[in-house]
Amino acid sequence: MIVPIRMLGIATSIFWVLLIAFIALAAYSVKDLSVDFGEPEYTITAEGELNLALPLYVDNRGYYSLKDFHLSTVFSDAEGSEISRSDTIVPVIPHGENVTITHNVTLDPLSLLERGEQYLFNDNDLNVSFTAGLNFAELLPAEISANFTFPWGAPFYNFAVGEPSFEVVDLTHVMVSASMSFENHAVFDIAGNIRIELYDSGDSLLSESQTVLYVPQYSSYEDNIEFALPLSASSLSTVQSGHFEVYFDIGVAHYGPLVVPYG
Amino acid sequence: MAEQQKSKNLVKDVSFRVAKATVKAILVYLLYFLLMPMLSPLFEMVPGFVESIEAFIAFYIVLMILGDLTSKTVFQHFFNTARALFFIGYLLLSMGDGVFSTSYESFSLTVNLTLFYTIAATLSLLGLARTILQAINFMHEKAEADSNLEP
Repeated sequence: MIVPIRMLGIATSIFWVLLIAFIALAAYSVKDLSVDFGEPEYTITAEGELNLALPLYVDNRGYYSLKDFHLSTVFSDAEGSEISRSDTIVPVIPHGENVTITHNVTLDPLSLLERGEQYLFNDNDLNVSFTAGLNFAELLPAEISANFTFPWGAPFYNFAVGEPSFEVVDLTHVMVSASMSFENHAVFDIAGNIRIELYDSGDSLLSESQTVLYVPQYSSYEDNIEFALPLSASSLSTVQSGHFEVYFDIGVAHYGPLVVPYG
Repeated sequence: MAEQQKSKNLVKDVSFRVAKATVKAILVYLLYFLLMPMLSPLFEMVPGFVESIEAFIAFYIVLMILGDLTSKTVFQHFFNTARALFFIGYLLLSMGDGVFSTSYESFSLTVNLTLFYTIAATLSLLGLARTILQAINFMHEKAEADSNLEP
């Protein structure tokens, strides 16, 4: 009986040594694993979607390969409704290699605008749920998750159309002008046009004006819009109050009408 | 003369046991001392885990020393079995369901240690089986020796 007991003891000891050595090497490898995030790049796709490319640098100087590396981000609004979901999967990150992974997140501004005009005119915080996982040394699946907020800058923050002023140009026309201003807080440049319709107090369309604009990110815009009105006694009396209807077309988003009363 | 020889043998035997227990305890502590810096990146993520490991190592070494000091008696097997049971108990209590989770600020880390846990539990069960077999073998040999002494 002594021999089987000794054999059992030797076998158990060998397996323990192997297991402890494996765990020690795995833990030591974690020390030599570095993950860095690069600067995110924002682009607008041909489909008019906002693409956020987040570079991720993984330097695996450990003893083991990393398998089934996956990165997932879910954007949701304040109410918790999902806006966008993106996944990036890398089957293997071999040991001793430096790998750059680009995680692409696509945000559809139209889907944001469907949830309300606040995303066009007010800055907001989007909720981001982030999950990254991998199979370490083929034996230890690990996952890290975090929740944070992503600041959404409104492209037409503080949009305002000022009170119109009237100027008789000639015997047949009156020129109506009003100031229009906003701040582009978005991470992308605005290129598109704004069409504004001028209505009198009787809700009759008097004139319309279109402005082509290009506003770089994080900059302000201010300009005058002008409408030519046929001169008549009735038009001058009814145009003193009314409203503007503003239509936005900036490639990534089409929105309108935004009603701005005046007078 | 025979009494003096017997006393001398006992001192020699006890000295050997003490030396053996000391060497084994030092070796185990050295192993812990060498492995700890390697494992510390993982252990630092869990608050209180290093203290828990230190307590475990201390108790394990005490049981090991007691087992070595009482070798060639039935108490050696009691202590060895207690050590094996203590190891299994510690493993069960510290690992729970084998999924280890920790949080830091808004981040949470989850490591699935189920496979490691299964292997470690199997090996510790084999260790327990071995100590029980050793105890049975000890009692068997003792009974055999007693029966040989009987006229």
